[in-house]
Amino acid sequence: MTHDRSPEARAPLTELSDAPRPTLAQRVGSKSVAPWIFIAPMLVFGAIFFILPLLYAGYISLTRWNGFTAPRWVGLGNYDYLLFTDPRFWDTFWNTIYFAAGTILIGVPLALVLAYAFTRAYGQAVWRSIYWLPYITNVVAVAYIWQFLLDDSFGLVNRALDAAGLPGPGWLTDPSIAMTTMILIFVWMQLGHNLLLFSAGLAGIDESYYEAARLDGAGERQLFLDITVPMLKPTLLFVLITNFITGLSYFVLMLVMADVAPQGPIKVTGLYMYEMAFSDQRLGRAAAAAYILFTVVLVVTLVQLRVFRRGGVEAH
Amino acid sequence: MAIVQASHRSAILWRIAKYGILSLGAIIMVVPFIDMFLGALRSPAERLARPPVYWPGDPQWINFKRVFTELPTLNWLWNSVYITLAVTLLQLVTSSMAGYALAKYRFIGRNMIFRTVLGAQMFPFFLFIIPIFFILRYFPLAGGNGLDGVGGSGFLNTYTAIILPFAVTWYGVFLMRQFFLTVPDELIEAARLDGANEFRIFWQIVLPLVVPGLATLGIFVFVYQWNEVIWTMTITRTAPDLQTLPVGIYLLRGAFTEEATKSLQQAAVAVSVIPVMVTFLALQRYYIRGLMAGSVKG
Repeated sequence: MTHDRSPEARAPLTELSDAPRPTLAQRVGSKSVAPWIFIAPMLVFGAIFFILPLLYAGYISLTRWNGFTAPRWVGLGNYDYLLFTDPRFWDTFWNTIYFAAGTILIGVPLALVLAYAFTRAYGQAVWRSIYWLPYITNVVAVAYIWQFLLDDSFGLVNRALDAAGLPGPGWLTDPSIAMTTMILIFVWMQLGHNLLLFSAGLAGIDESYYEAARLDGAGERQLFLDITVPMLKPTLLFVLITNFITGLSYFVLMLVMADVAPQGPIKVTGLYMYEMAFSDQRLGRAAAAAYILFTVVLVVTLVQLRVFRRGGVEAH
Repeated sequence: MAIVQASHRSAILWRIAKYGILSLGAIIMVVPFIDMFLGALRSPAERLARPPVYWPGDPQWINFKRVFTELPTLNWLWNSVYITLAVTLLQLVTSSMAGYALAKYRFIGRNMIFRTVLGAQMFPFFLFIIPIFFILRYFPLAGGNGLDGVGGSGFLNTYTAIILPFAVTWYGVFLMRQFFLTVPDELIEAARLDGANEFRIFWQIVLPLVVPGLATLGIFVFVYQWNEVIWTMTITRTAPDLQTLPVGIYLLRGAFTEEATKSLQQAAVAVSVIPVMVTFLALQRYYIRGLMAGSVKG
């Protein structure tokens, strides 16, 4: 009895019916049934924890619901309220954009310069370990570490600035810079990750370009601007867009910092959604906020897909 | 000639700049952790002095013991270990099974399923917090719930609720598929000709060949899950017995409002960071590879 499905091996039907019927164990362990068993856990999970939640969240967003009593259908009322009536939603939205844009404006150039130095330095494992420490540290620890460092009068940062004769700002207390502080802490957390992405991109640039340019007398600055940056464009785009998406979706640091920093300036849409859901029990409104923010993320993601399809980079 | 000299000089300058930049960055990366350790060792008197004493003159190593005797740290640590290991194990099983099916079999709908795996990774987690919370809360027949999903508390305040949403990740499936693709088809065909059934082939022949992939995924999930805060905090807010280290430390923040008690808080933070740091430093080779395989997917 054979499980080979190639045409020449396929037996005529009459012959097959004479063969002994395969046992249940044989059938389950066969090439046609086994893959479904292998993939079953993922399919079941995908149904319960991916497709169902997406539909459920969509439904919740069309109702008024406190999580306990029966939801009341309000149609697009929640979306209408958030987009056209609620003054806070747009504040949180612009905070989100400010945060996401800030993380790439500060974080990406830093990571690029560091990666450029990193790929040509000795002791890569050591540098990499050091730059990765913040990325593998839990966000609660990050928040507390920086709360102590950034204490107005006695934190290490302001004491150092003071020693240098500079006025230390109220990093976490001044409403006009609290969000910038969040951006800087987030950049600190993500630097190692972006550095790694860039160093992978840099490793892909053929050394012969640099050698040829050096023979022509180019200095390091020229090498960086004339060879590295243009050759790195696909990686750069990838990092920029994925960082932007991460920034739009991020809110845990702000949530953990909410006690110490001024509330308004650091409230991003994700945090606004979370608080509406789990502090105010306005599930419908929160789900609608989540879907609005998701729409923005989706648009950026589609732009990314377009850019990369056109560039034909790293397609699997 | 002058050009060659200029470029030689610029090469030396560049070398200095290179290590200068890397060192400056490294200091900014590391000093915050040192600040935390010094804080954990400061005595109440040193904290209350104005200005506070920076270098602890009399290091309070006992704070690292007090963390375990005066706070529920042992319980948090156990929860962190239990949840992290359970999620890691589950993901290794589910990801390798699904990854193998997608890499090595042809079946109806395979391409559509694989495209879903790729596309689903683009959905941000915040979109799922609310619906999954209530799916678990009103899960039929769980935690005293009836068939209609009401009556009890569902999976609320159970390990299941913390662990289950992370039992399968699209990223894990994708990563394992990439590793299974490198296994030669001939090997699998030869085993089939020898009469081995599909599960034996998977378990005895293919899986041993992707151990590096399992190591990569394992360490990646370990680090991720150990540091997971938002979901665990949401689902265990009213269940202190189930909280993990980071979540417990955060939710107990009210106990550390007095300046004198803050050394203890910093010591607890250090305890939450150390296990994952040690794991990472020991296995970073695998970790980096996993991230590269997952991030540059285009």
